[in-house]
Amino acid sequence: MAPSATPIDSSPPSTSASVDNNLQPFFVLHKASSGKSERKSTGSGKTRRRIDLSPSLQMNANKLEAKRVEECDDDCYVNLRVEAFEIVWSKIESTIKNVLRDVNTVVFIEIHRWVCQSFNTIMSSRTIAFHEATQAFPIITDASSKQLFTGLVLTKNMEFVDDLLTFEELGLHLRSQRCRVANLSSLDFTVKSGINGCLRSLLRQFLMASLDAPDISILASWYREQGNYGNPVVVIVEDIERCCGSVMSDFILMLSEWVFKVPVILIMGVATTLDAPSNILPSDVLQHLNPCKFTLGTPTERMDAVIEAVLVKPYSGFSVSHKVALFMRNYFARQDGTLTSFIRALKIACVLHFSMEPLSFILGGICSEENEQVLQDGLLQQMVLKHAFDLPSYVRNNTGEHNGEIFYRGLLEMKKLQKHWGIVVLCLYEAGKYDKIRLLDLLCEALDPELHNFRTSDTHTKIEEDPRPFSSNYCCHQQYPVFRKGGFIVRALRKVRDLPIVQLCKLLQRWEELTVDVIKIHEKLKELRPVLKSENDNSSKEDMTNISKRQAARSQLYMEDTKAVYEKATILMECMVRDYMQPIECIPLHEVFCFKNVKKLQSALIGDPRRWIQVDLQESHMILCCRCCSGSGNTLLPTMHDTSIMYNLAQEHGDLINLHDWYQSFKSTVLCPRSKRKQKSKQALSKKRKNLTEPENLSEAAIQARFCSAVTELQITGLTRMPTKRRPDFVQRVAFGL
Amino acid sequence: MEINDGGDDEFGFSRNYFLAKDMAASGKKSTHKLSDINLVDEQELRAEASNVEPKHEREIESLMESYKSLYSKWVFELRCGFGLLMYGFGSKKALIEDFASTALTEYSVVVINGYLQSINIKQVMITLAELLWDQLKSKRRTPSRNLSKAQQPFNTRSMDDLLAFLDGSQVEENDGIVCVVIHNIDGPGLRDSETQQYLAQISSCSHIRIVASIDHVNAPLLWDKKMVHTQFNWCWYHVPTFAPYKVERMFFPLILAHGGSAQSAKTAAIVLQSLTPNAQSVFKILAEYQLSHPDEEGMPIDDLYTVSRERFLVSSQVTLNSHLTEFKDHDLVKTRRHSDGQDCLYIPLASEALEKLLSDMNQ
Repeated sequence: MAPSATPIDSSPPSTSASVDNNLQPFFVLHKASSGKSERKSTGSGKTRRRIDLSPSLQMNANKLEAKRVEECDDDCYVNLRVEAFEIVWSKIESTIKNVLRDVNTVVFIEIHRWVCQSFNTIMSSRTIAFHEATQAFPIITDASSKQLFTGLVLTKNMEFVDDLLTFEELGLHLRSQRCRVANLSSLDFTVKSGINGCLRSLLRQFLMASLDAPDISILASWYREQGNYGNPVVVIVEDIERCCGSVMSDFILMLSEWVFKVPVILIMGVATTLDAPSNILPSDVLQHLNPCKFTLGTPTERMDAVIEAVLVKPYSGFSVSHKVALFMRNYFARQDGTLTSFIRALKIACVLHFSMEPLSFILGGICSEENEQVLQDGLLQQMVLKHAFDLPSYVRNNTGEHNGEIFYRGLLEMKKLQKHWGIVVLCLYEAGKYDKIRLLDLLCEALDPELHNFRTSDTHTKIEEDPRPFSSNYCCHQQYPVFRKGGFIVRALRKVRDLPIVQLCKLLQRWEELTVDVIKIHEKLKELRPVLKSENDNSSKEDMTNISKRQAARSQLYMEDTKAVYEKATILMECMVRDYMQPIECIPLHEVFCFKNVKKLQSALIGDPRRWIQVDLQESHMILCCRCCSGSGNTLLPTMHDTSIMYNLAQEHGDLINLHDWYQSFKSTVLCPRSKRKQKSKQALSKKRKNLTEPENLSEAAIQARFCSAVTELQITGLTRMPTKRRPDFVQRVAFGL
Repeated sequence: MEINDGGDDEFGFSRNYFLAKDMAASGKKSTHKLSDINLVDEQELRAEASNVEPKHEREIESLMESYKSLYSKWVFELRCGFGLLMYGFGSKKALIEDFASTALTEYSVVVINGYLQSINIKQVMITLAELLWDQLKSKRRTPSRNLSKAQQPFNTRSMDDLLAFLDGSQVEENDGIVCVVIHNIDGPGLRDSETQQYLAQISSCSHIRIVASIDHVNAPLLWDKKMVHTQFNWCWYHVPTFAPYKVERMFFPLILAHGGSAQSAKTAAIVLQSLTPNAQSVFKILAEYQLSHPDEEGMPIDDLYTVSRERFLVSSQVTLNSHLTEFKDHDLVKTRRHSDGQDCLYIPLASEALEKLLSDMNQ
């Protein structure tokens, strides 16, 4: 059992040692080598790198330079990119946390208020003498007083994984309000550890100590201590549906007996409906609960809030392409449905981006607003110049001189365009909210470069070229020829026309707030304001229900005015979409910021062993790229991998495979009649292979051994199940098709 | 479009399943017996199996070589806090260990062989904690909080304490990281849900990075969403190696080494040799009865008792029962219900095998 350490040096361990290690349950392969980490840490230090490497580079001859840059590629650039990833991701992560906290703030405050109320109720009904309080047994006055205040938090989400963070935050929030808080999960309520499990976890969190014999009286004496007494004690159980009912009821009974000494207030996360506690707890336990209901925001709300903060508002600098966004949307909607998985997908996209894109280290500097410095660094500039002007988006859009200045200007332009894009998307989203359009859908459409190219290729006038503020010749009734039919953007635009005037007013106000930084649009919106104001005044005086009748009686002129406002608002929005909403993929240098590789993301995010292991076996020759087996089509050749042959043979059987038949067909495949094969592939086969597998050389024992090994390998992959005593001659197939 | 694809897949899968079921039920089920194959001796089979000539050695080698270009990416992802999960056909043991010993020299690496039958996860955690402790100590910048904690040796601490130590605040990147390589995280020694929970908790610790491999197609079923998304945090890599599962399959029985009647007779003879002469004789009575009454379901216990007592082999029912228990424990004898409700004893061997066994015993 004792772990055996192998020597640190990288020379391959001797065979006997490795055999020994193979049979150890675990062993130490090597310890951290201090030498290399020293070297690395020199590289990672940003300031040191500048001092150390930049001058030395200047001294070097030209021919050495390229090599050196290559080397740096491996070493310090990787470190820089890791650093940049950490900066960018921690920024994204904290943004997400803040957003989620904001979404829940209202509920948290509500819960805290209720905790205080409940605590006061408990305290007011308890008046214990000192000698009573110090006794090591509970005080029971009457049955009705053994009530446990219980907050049922409806998560509106079957996936408890999204709410882990919520309850953690709730705990932090309550702690900051002078509550004593412990978070328990379903793992603490298991049959195996019983009531001791949850008690131990409770004591661990409150007393910061692990005890061998947990007892609730310890908690009671802890509560009497200075600093604890007089504060509410809150126990949060994250997911009661997943807890063991009997342990849970024991726990509740125990707490309710001691509620006078330890004023515990329970908070339970409920994923399904309010009757969840009654489903898992017996009625005599339920009597001890004094429930109160709270409701968290829906996953969709949270999702939109997160996307707005992370992908639309230009916070992090990191962005995803249209295809990646589409993939992530589908993954969210069809595969997993949890916000957590979406965030994880984003994180993987982020890490892949930083590991693949050489220039991505710039993002770290941009994030911390020091991009100018980054570019002044001699070595980095070299790197930038080396890679930046090879980027396809740059090559497409530019010709001419290459220097740091151009690159820097490109970055600034990029930042500006991204900001505009975000603003327009948010404006659209504000309008779309009235039509229940989700930001994720809108985002996917807004990122589509093809749609954008289609829109701009249209010959309509641009805002800046148009002398009149709102050209009336452009009519929106033409089914928005420049927008995709049935798209979300079109829906949002159409919604603008259909809004009641009061809501339109609010929307325009919101737009004004959003577009503060884009003067051109902001001005145009301002122009709309007086028109609207007068109308809004008119309409607000009226009772909304009667408006239509009375309006009919009003002058024709007024009607036209209203119509014009709608028209103008819509046209303005359309112009914004056309001129300002430039997807990131249409901007030069976007490769630095934008992750585009859907395939890589998909394979890193969703492993599908069931499918791929079978594909491996089906097409072993494709993966091995061997000349001897390829070109065989569907026929099995004796040169193929044994397990692959066996797998393919198994496909011809039903759910049970007769071992005898399987063996015979394996044998005949392996001993494939030479004459037949010879004629077919005489020329194609290399001499070497012929020498390798002379079928005659194969003894019965060898074939049987190969058969056994292949069956075992299939068993290891879980594709077949071993014969049972009832059916000793058959193995069972487990997987059917990919 | 993708939804339709998904639907087709789903449909294809169920169709394949029912087709396969159908094939089995259509009466075409083969009645061939394993014993029809001229099975070679187990010893010989094992010897052969251990030196099966590998195919495509060159191709496998170049495949492994091609994965080397991914090492830097893998390290990058590990450093960024992800876990690596390797899957695909073929043993990935050599690949991962090569990766660990060439690209992860900066970190301490602990290897867990999940293909073994039993692994003490607490021992693993103690080793991890000790390694981490050494590493932090050598940096001399260890926070004093940890120092005081280490007064208590790791092997007397609880799992929670160990986890808390491994999850301590990160001093500086690279410094306090221990990599855990888990071959076959879905293997028999780690497959139970409790161990998986512990592994998930370990992998979510700030000082730990995990590189693991799976071979079973259903391995992802071991984990719930919390483990997958927040604890293991896998980056999946499809790296088929087609390397033989040499070590992994050591603990699997050879399929052709068990079913054969010759084999059972042989093991039966070995077991019988270790029994007392009286017990052997009782077995002989049963065997002779079975050979002379091939159509019957077995020998009633009472009859066996009577005959054995007549031959002075047993003195009481208790003695007979103790012999029978011995037989049953070694699968030499089984019971089944006779048509008239009585329990019958029989030897689960074919007649020829039984004859051979008797002749062996008489020698």
